Amino acid sequence: MQREQISALREGALASAGLLVGIVPWGIVAGVAMVSAGLTQTQAVAMSVLVFAGTAQLAVLPLLVAKAPLWVMVATALVVNLRYVIYSAVLAPHFEHLPRLWRVLLSYITVDGVFALFAGSYRPEDGNPHKHWYFLGGSLLMWCAWQLSSWIGIFAGAMIPREWSLEFASTLALIALLIPLLFDRAVVCGALAAGGVALIAAKLPLNLGLLAAIAVGVAVGLAVARLGPRKEEGRV
Amino acid sequence: MAGESWFVWALIAGMAAIAFLTRAVFILPGSHLRLPPTAERVLRYAPAAAIMAIIVPDIALVQGALSISIENPRLVGGLVAFALAASTRSVFATIAGGMLALTLVRQFAG
Repeated sequence: MQREQISALREGALASAGLLVGIVPWGIVAGVAMVSAGLTQTQAVAMSVLVFAGTAQLAVLPLLVAKAPLWVMVATALVVNLRYVIYSAVLAPHFEHLPRLWRVLLSYITVDGVFALFAGSYRPEDGNPHKHWYFLGGSLLMWCAWQLSSWIGIFAGAMIPREWSLEFASTLALIALLIPLLFDRAVVCGALAAGGVALIAAKLPLNLGLLAAIAVGVAVGLAVARLGPRKEEGRV
Repeated sequence: MAGESWFVWALIAGMAAIAFLTRAVFILPGSHLRLPPTAERVLRYAPAAAIMAIIVPDIALVQGALSISIENPRLVGGLVAFALAASTRSVFATIAGGMLALTLVRQFAG
């Protein structure tokens, strides 16, 4: 490794250090919630290493407790992970010149906070040859923090009595995750519609109610966005 | 849970594949595609809709039946958590407050 690479790696890690305050509580909650939902400690560690997607992990746990079918849980993980598709499209031009192994590594390790920092600091055409080291530095710090805090939660969770119903913590964590996602009226309307449909359609077999709710929620969101006043386009 | 061990491993494998593929979909082929605005909207609205659709039945249904009552511990815990999340934006306050409300309702209303 050259000097510039090491310094970009360190710069990325330092810039991301502020995100630790946010990621550590999530990791602990996810760890506790995984074992409370019935995963063994080995399974919970495997999930946090192999999946490494906190929102998807937290979203699937209430469904696991409710004994939803496998495909519904995987479909749910897909839907809550769709934001990564946006990130992937934004990051692709930055990393297209890198060897395949690098692109595999950077894909696996992408997280929300580091993506936002990176997209704010670099442009695809800036020609900076070391920016992937910056991305890796921040992402590695997040990866270590996520794994360590998850393991704390996993081992603490195994000692907490079942009567405490700590599996409910994953639902509460989803509430905390949802609030920042409600960034405009269209999302709020879509989410409310999804909640309503999920309630009405709860009796549908195979948890189809959940998927129907997501479809209606997206449709309502799009409709509201189309009908509503166009703030960004109307003004300079 | 030991009998359902294969089920959890299959879930982990499926989620690992999804988590990797959603992040790699453009990075790995090195694609230059710009997402059309409508596609980007769908990708942004879907996660919020999915999360809400998981939360609402989890707090408002008791054994499959609608329970809008101050004696439903999960509903009270969830609503307290919503209020705390919106006002404090603190993960800790949201979870601690929600769990406390759940426990209190169980003690006194149950």
